[in-house]
Amino acid sequence: MTRFAIFTLGLAACFFYLPIVVLGIFSFNASSTMAFPLSGFTFAWYADLVGNTAFQDGFVTSFLIAQPVGLLAAFIGLVAALALTSSRMWFRGAFAVLILVPFLVPKTVLSIAQAMLMSWVGLGRGATALILAQTIVAIPFTTTIIAAVLIRLDPRLEEAARDLGATPWQSFRRVLLPQLNVALSAAYSIGVILSLADLTISMFLAGRTQPLSLIVASEFRRELKPDLNAMQVVVLLLTALIVALTEINRRRRLRGRTAHLRDQT
Amino acid sequence: MALAFHRAHFAVPVACLLLVGCVLPLALLLVFSFFEVDLDAFTMVPAFSGQSWSQIFTNPVFVFLIGKAVVSGAGTAVLATFVGYPIAISMTRLPALWKGIASIVLLTPLYTGEIVRIYAWRVVLGSEGLINAVLQWFGLVDEPLKFLLFSPFTTHLVLLYNNLPFMVLAIWISAELIDKRLIEAARDLGARPLDAFLKVILPLTTPGLAVGAFTVFALAAGDMMTPSLLGGTSGATPMAMIDNLFGTAFDWPLASALALSLLVVLFAFAIGFATVLLRLNGARAVFRRGLK
Repeated sequence: MTRFAIFTLGLAACFFYLPIVVLGIFSFNASSTMAFPLSGFTFAWYADLVGNTAFQDGFVTSFLIAQPVGLLAAFIGLVAALALTSSRMWFRGAFAVLILVPFLVPKTVLSIAQAMLMSWVGLGRGATALILAQTIVAIPFTTTIIAAVLIRLDPRLEEAARDLGATPWQSFRRVLLPQLNVALSAAYSIGVILSLADLTISMFLAGRTQPLSLIVASEFRRELKPDLNAMQVVVLLLTALIVALTEINRRRRLRGRTAHLRDQT
Repeated sequence: MALAFHRAHFAVPVACLLLVGCVLPLALLLVFSFFEVDLDAFTMVPAFSGQSWSQIFTNPVFVFLIGKAVVSGAGTAVLATFVGYPIAISMTRLPALWKGIASIVLLTPLYTGEIVRIYAWRVVLGSEGLINAVLQWFGLVDEPLKFLLFSPFTTHLVLLYNNLPFMVLAIWISAELIDKRLIEAARDLGARPLDAFLKVILPLTTPGLAVGAFTVFALAAGDMMTPSLLGGTSGATPMAMIDNLFGTAFDWPLASALALSLLVVLFAFAIGFATVLLRLNGARAVFRRGLK
């Protein structure tokens, strides 16, 4: 049975990583036509990226848009999660559904509806519109991440702080927030990643702003070029870096906390 | 400072934001769908005529496109169930450390972004791509298989690829929650592995299955970029149609009506499916209890 499990998972991993590996292989292939057999090893396509200002500008745009999306989505997710896990909330079900709406409605329908609203009230499409729309789509993810941690926390810690005379703000700042650090950084990275990965929302709301995903989409409608491969590999590595840093951060803090607990006992 | 408001009140600003950013636009679709376009003045006028709606119901193109989206989403959900189930069950058999690794392996492709994934599959399936090269290398085909790219096959392969992690995660979580002793008990009582699977594991993972199917169905049926970039001539979707009506044709009322009907059909299907699945599961439990 375990052999069956290993076989299945191996096959699944191949399926998940086949396209990514092929992308990587062609990004080092010497020929400009992407065909087998491979013709030789080269860094030329990566070197091309250095001179490609369109890609660089696109990446900078995407990056600059992703930062506020990550921060806003994490902040709103925190506020929403605090409300959602509050004991006095009587409309929890309705609020939970409302938070999930951006996830349940197809992104295309939602972004086109948002685009209509914005044109109708005379707001321009562009970076601000894009940031707001992407933040809204990220809220279901960030809220669930933070709420999942919140419900597992011991409420007595905060009660103790309050009994000892802490104001609500102090008990939040000194007791609750340190315990939520990990969840908040995870929520921030999810927001950033969703924003970097997005193509659909950008299609409708970017206006003249050109995030990388839009540039790539319009490039590869025409033809496949090896420097695009190289660029996708770079984007992929950067995304992986964000994920890895978040994970390392999480582990370090977890270790820090257990060490702290050990010292106390 | 007296505590003027409680944490539950934090819901108010968030709710307002979601109402304005998410519910209001959808409500506006409903309003716009009853407008008419004055092409001379190039504006929309409130008409409350239901003209757009009658077009949706009478023009076979719209019905066809919506039907196609539903079939495509349902097909992807079914595929994802059959492919995802063994993966999820296999994951429950791993030791704890490997479970963590497997979930990272599973989720990382999700982080790569829509465009990277679509692009990468085009590299794999193109006429000079990996699959065709391998097939020709082994002499299985003389010339590149054209249907590998720009066909419904490609579209659904990539829709499966994009949405499979959601299905696996949903089933995996519900399978992890099963009390292992239930399966052992079934085996001790003489159930063959297949029986134990059909009568213990499968019914207990139905909620996860329903959640996964709901998610995959909605995501796949609502996808526009994958069919339009990989489907070739078969890539027409209601989404692309809505985009056209909104942008080029300036027929916002019709675009709104189409978007809303798609939304309603998707939700009706997904909720209906989940209800049937859960009811079936419940009925089976009652049936079993009746046997005892």
